[in-house]
Amino acid sequence: MLQFKLVLLGDSSVGKSSIVNRFVKDTFDEFRESTIGAAFLSQSIKIKDPKTNQDVIIKFEIWDTAGQERYKSLAPMYYRNANAALVVYDITIADSLLKAKSWVNELKEKVGNSTDDNDNDNDNNNNNNNLVIHLVGNKLDLVEDDPEMRSVATEDAVKYSTDENLLFKEVSAKTDFNIKEVFQTIGEKLYEIRQKELDNNNNKQNKGEINISLPRPSTNDSTSCCS
Amino acid sequence: MVLRSTTYQNEMNETDSSKNTSFVTSLMKSWRISSSSSIASSSNTNEPLTNNNNNNHTKSVLSSDSPFYSSPIQSTHFDTITNNTGSGTTTNKKGFTRKFSSSSQDGNFDAMAKQTISIRKSTSSSSSSSSIINNNITSHAHTSTHSHTHNSNNNKTTNSYSPLRYVSPSMTNLESLKSSFFRQHHTRNSHHNQYYHNTPGNNNSNNHNSFNYSNSPAIGASYSSYNGTGSLENFPNDNNNASSKYFQDLDEDWSAVIDDFNMPIPVMLNGGRGDHASNSNNNSLSRISTNSSITNFKPSTTSVAPLQYPQLPLIETRSKEEIENEREIQKLNSLMKRITKFDNILNNKHIINLSELRQISWNGIPKPHRPVVWKLLIGYLPANKNRQESFLKRKRQEYRDGLNHTFSKNHKRDIPTWHQIEIDIPRTNPHIPLYQFKTVHESLQRILYLWAIRHPASGYVQGINDLVTPFYQTFLTEYLPQSQIDDVENRDPSSYLSEEQLKDVEADAFWCLTRLLEQITDNYIHGQPGILKQVKILSQLIKRIDTDLYNHFQKEHVEFIQFAFRWMNCLLMREFQMNAVIRMWDTYLSETFSDTGSSMSTSFNSDLMSPQTPTQRSTATFHTTPQGSNHVTTLSLHTPATTTTRFNSVTTLTSVSKDESDPTKVKQSSLNEFHVFVCAAFLIKWSDQLCEMDFQEIITFLQNPPTKNWDENDIEMLLSGAYIWQSLYKDATSHWL
Repeated sequence: MLQFKLVLLGDSSVGKSSIVNRFVKDTFDEFRESTIGAAFLSQSIKIKDPKTNQDVIIKFEIWDTAGQERYKSLAPMYYRNANAALVVYDITIADSLLKAKSWVNELKEKVGNSTDDNDNDNDNNNNNNNLVIHLVGNKLDLVEDDPEMRSVATEDAVKYSTDENLLFKEVSAKTDFNIKEVFQTIGEKLYEIRQKELDNNNNKQNKGEINISLPRPSTNDSTSCCS
Repeated sequence: MVLRSTTYQNEMNETDSSKNTSFVTSLMKSWRISSSSSIASSSNTNEPLTNNNNNNHTKSVLSSDSPFYSSPIQSTHFDTITNNTGSGTTTNKKGFTRKFSSSSQDGNFDAMAKQTISIRKSTSSSSSSSSIINNNITSHAHTSTHSHTHNSNNNKTTNSYSPLRYVSPSMTNLESLKSSFFRQHHTRNSHHNQYYHNTPGNNNSNNHNSFNYSNSPAIGASYSSYNGTGSLENFPNDNNNASSKYFQDLDEDWSAVIDDFNMPIPVMLNGGRGDHASNSNNNSLSRISTNSSITNFKPSTTSVAPLQYPQLPLIETRSKEEIENEREIQKLNSLMKRITKFDNILNNKHIINLSELRQISWNGIPKPHRPVVWKLLIGYLPANKNRQESFLKRKRQEYRDGLNHTFSKNHKRDIPTWHQIEIDIPRTNPHIPLYQFKTVHESLQRILYLWAIRHPASGYVQGINDLVTPFYQTFLTEYLPQSQIDDVENRDPSSYLSEEQLKDVEADAFWCLTRLLEQITDNYIHGQPGILKQVKILSQLIKRIDTDLYNHFQKEHVEFIQFAFRWMNCLLMREFQMNAVIRMWDTYLSETFSDTGSSMSTSFNSDLMSPQTPTQRSTATFHTTPQGSNHVTTLSLHTPATTTTRFNSVTTLTSVSKDESDPTKVKQSSLNEFHVFVCAAFLIKWSDQLCEMDFQEIITFLQNPPTKNWDENDIEMLLSGAYIWQSLYKDATSHWL
């Protein structure tokens, strides 16, 4: 079993907690108390190893952060050691995409982005330079009911994601549309990166270096860096 | 009480004082003794009035008892016990004397447990449970100081070191409990003996697992009265009985004492009252049982003399309904008494005695009184009754003016703030119907928005929407007939309030919210330094109070901020149901608010005039300096006893209150500080479970603590625990930052 830390970021009330709760508990509440600080949940998924075609279990440790600006100073604590980030916006509120973009920028600046380019060299591994960022436009159900409500065009978001090398999907936590797929994609991506690293390490080992990467035992073990 | 603490301090100086402190600490931790014991007894000192009749009665009973006790220790000990039953009967003389007294005579500690919890500070009968639970400590103190103070002092001493017992409802593992108990006391044994070496009647001072309280036969007796049939075996089988919930681990501790104590234990019976049956027994006080309990009584054992473990009737022999009835009766009686007391305080005088009110409110405010008492405690409503009406009128108008101005066309709407509040309001208390009504949404929107734009340094922060609701909901009840107060959560306010009345409620909630947030501004300004500080204090507290838990968190890489941030930000509101929160606020508002604002100038004077303030409780701490006076020097503005002692070095933040008029008034916030102790007590409550968990389990557990069914009793236990921790550590916390 592989364990990864995932953090949710995004403006207030875009549906971060709803996405997580749909994914972890398969529940949805129309009105859910605002998240204060951050909430922790965990969930496992199964993915297939593309080479061996064997099942691999991926366990996500999820930190669902609070969206309000005032809590922004807490965010670094949660994304610092994250392997993946889910940046969420509300497709009915244009401003929320701006907020999402600023989160993406902050993440790239502070943590780095694995999808940026493929030439991650091993020296950067310990800087946790492999963050997978997935952009998510939530509340698709509202738009299906009333197309007028859409404020963020899918094309715009797609273009932004391509430019920034982000994974992207529009989802609905309410109708459970695309939620599992998002986490599935992230899981596969993380697994791919992990395998690549292992290969690199093997190469290193051949050169006489030993660098064994193991999943962190705990989310916020600041001493060990999951890479 | 003062005498008590000084003697203890002397002791501490003789020995290693740090060790002493840790001894008391771990004593508390391991016993997790609850709660009302301390409050109850503190009432004795703080409210001489309430106990006057009680004392008289005690004396008379005591004198009839005294021939049975040979040593001074014993008599002091029994004095407390006597007091119990005595007070039980007196208080209920009018109502249901027979039933009530029989319950305590009967040793129905099941019933008494309930009593312990539900009883308020002022209820004289509550001293019973406290003194029983704390006897060991009391006598411990007596023996150690060789002081022969008894009777009147005795009650008071109880409160200083009452080891609050926290009985976790989920505590099921007796063995682990036992072992932890042993582990903790084992190490302190030698240290302990220093207290006892001269104690008369000290025959076997090295009891591994006990505090040596068994040295005094009288004390042993009090345990034995609970312990009749080897309760260790008894209680685990007794899980269905409500009593086990309260007493299984208590009982465990006691049996540990007896197991190790190889001498016969005289049987103390009938709660120490010298009644007919006990007269026949010179050395041991035989117990009088009620009809229901006598069924299980074996004659052979009762008649045999002192050197035998008592065979007590089992608790479960009493029918459930009987117990329930008694509880109901006790509850009603004490409630009625409390209501009368509040009536007296609120109605009898021209100027309401706020310190008295604060004191009595600590243990809960009756629903009909709550709205007005909250307004008084928080410093919104003036204590001078002549001024109240005009004051309210003015403030309510001020609120309306504020609204008119804010929502006029001249005022530019702060869109982000408005929007944030707008999206938070539908998800405020989403499980309570009241907060789904449009009327309420609009009310809260107005209150929060007005507050936010008037306090730009902080602005609206998520969580403040939670904090306004207890006020709003409570003030609504003012407009409901008493019988419908509980209905407030289900009714649309517009169905029973006029537009103007609704605005009045809003205004009151707005001003009270303002007052509340003034005290905790640091929690919501940029970077939220107040919260970070509190989280740090919490972690330092736990490090000292519960090292095992702290180390476990370290090992699992659990950071306090990961779970405690919300505790601080929402004052634990998210952790409990609304009724529990409101009960908690009774205490918060009375414990932690020092009213120094302009509107309270009158109340302030009355504080000065009244010598008994809640602060006397703080003598229970290990002050080496006279009551915290060193802290007050900085705020020379107001130095009545209340403000000085309740004032805390932790919360040295003294902010000049921003709103209106008097710029010279100084706010002292001890709300944050007390809240940290509540959080500590809350965390420690789950200590045993948490130590078994890994990181994920811990965080998940603490984010969803099993408190859904917590009622006022549970909250009271928690608050009492917090109170004790505070009395032990309040002056230390400033050094940890």
